Amino acid sequence: MQFAFRVRMRIILICVAMPTAQLALHQTVHALYSHHHGWLYGWLRKKLGCSDHAADVAQDTFVRVLAARNADAIAEPRAYLTTVAKGILVNTWRRQALERAYLETLTQLPPAAAPSEEERYLILETLQRVDAMLRALPDPVRRAFLLSQLEGMKYEEIAQRLGVSLITVKRYMKQAFLQCLAFQE
Amino acid sequence: MTAPVPAHILDEAADWLVQLHSGAMADAEREACERWRRQSTEHARAWARAERLMDQLGTLPPALAAPVLERAPERSRRAMLGKLGMLAAAAPAAWIGWGLAQERGWVAEHRSATGERRELQLADGSEVTLNTASAIDVRFSSSERLVLLRAGEVLVHSAADHRPFRLAGAHGTVEAPLARFAVRQDAERTRVAVLEGAVKVEPASAAATVLRAGEQTWMSRDAVAAPAQADAALAWTRGMLLADRMPLAELTAELARYRRGVIDCDAALAEMRVSGAFPVGGPAAVERALSMLASTYPLTVHKRLGGLWIALETKKTGAA
Repeated sequence: MQFAFRVRMRIILICVAMPTAQLALHQTVHALYSHHHGWLYGWLRKKLGCSDHAADVAQDTFVRVLAARNADAIAEPRAYLTTVAKGILVNTWRRQALERAYLETLTQLPPAAAPSEEERYLILETLQRVDAMLRALPDPVRRAFLLSQLEGMKYEEIAQRLGVSLITVKRYMKQAFLQCLAFQE
Repeated sequence: MTAPVPAHILDEAADWLVQLHSGAMADAEREACERWRRQSTEHARAWARAERLMDQLGTLPPALAAPVLERAPERSRRAMLGKLGMLAAAAPAAWIGWGLAQERGWVAEHRSATGERRELQLADGSEVTLNTASAIDVRFSSSERLVLLRAGEVLVHSAADHRPFRLAGAHGTVEAPLARFAVRQDAERTRVAVLEGAVKVEPASAAATVLRAGEQTWMSRDAVAAPAQADAALAWTRGMLLADRMPLAELTAELARYRRGVIDCDAALAEMRVSGAFPVGGPAAVERALSMLASTYPLTVHKRLGGLWIALETKKTGAA
């Protein structure tokens, strides 16, 4: 719900468009919906093999298009819509995969080291947030950052581990920190 | 919503973070960092972000976090999309929508759909009511009764028991021996309001506050506000949303929680103050709420995209 709430708040706060521009946007999104919603639903249903999922993802796709407020700049509607829909699916898959990896890792901990139930939940929430923050980073950057922040490795050690120069490690760290700071509100 | 921190200041903050973690920061450099962050409120804000980031990372036990965050497989988008078939096959029987699943992680035990209100009774006799699009996990053991608020808003009536009753959320915990209280979890903070009894509100990294009947407060991960008088925080349990000179934009944001899609209002209407007791709950309730708005205030309700998009626009009056 947090995402949806933020989307709505963003919409409301962006609502300073001139009346005519708004009308044009309405018409564009309306046209997009009437021409392509049915097609998108069909495409998703074939991909997912389930009509309920497909309907939900199709709806979520249009909610995102509304929120992005860029409907009149879309050159290839179907390509755009499928990209947004895929993004939604991939995002869900990622969260599920992270949660599964987390649960598996938990089972491998010795009982003495296991966090309490409550801590487990808070940690999962933080993991999802951090994972989302680091998602867009290239692999070596992400790896360097995690080696530094989670495993407490010094930059020299990281340079050795990754087979790059010290300067490169510092560059990676800067990129990662900047990404994280930009991500925070 | 405040203005974003200028990019060059974030850039400088990132530089300081790199230096801080190089393990070789002399006193002179630390002082330089101090001076840097005291330059302006924006510098301070940038540093506040840095500290929040460090806090977050600090709460992760390395043994647990490293294997999870450093895993490689899912990063290939193509590989993931190839798994679409598997994704569908693995879905639970009672699917309540991707929108919700996307936010929650899909192992929450009890959930309500958008627009649904659901009542549960727990094994110890405690009662939990879930508001729209909410989810909880229940973890009772011989030593404690723990409820995890995965998302949304709940009303809890905790039963008497020798075990402590705790509700844990994204920002902290509420401990409630025999009380009736409501908790609402938003992205950045959680609101707690008490009807009967008293509860202890403890943020993840700050001291606890006691909250008594008739009081409410907000908490974030590292702070909790002083108790204030509870307003209409519990009206939803009776299917109502009480507004007292609330800006229309805020009201529509609240109504939007109860339905799938978007409720927009045009710029001229956003700040208009509205009052009333608006029905909330399923689609029919929100319909009635919108009708009430349309008949009381100078606005018209437009439904587009098969109801996915509702736009409130200033009513066009006839020529004078």
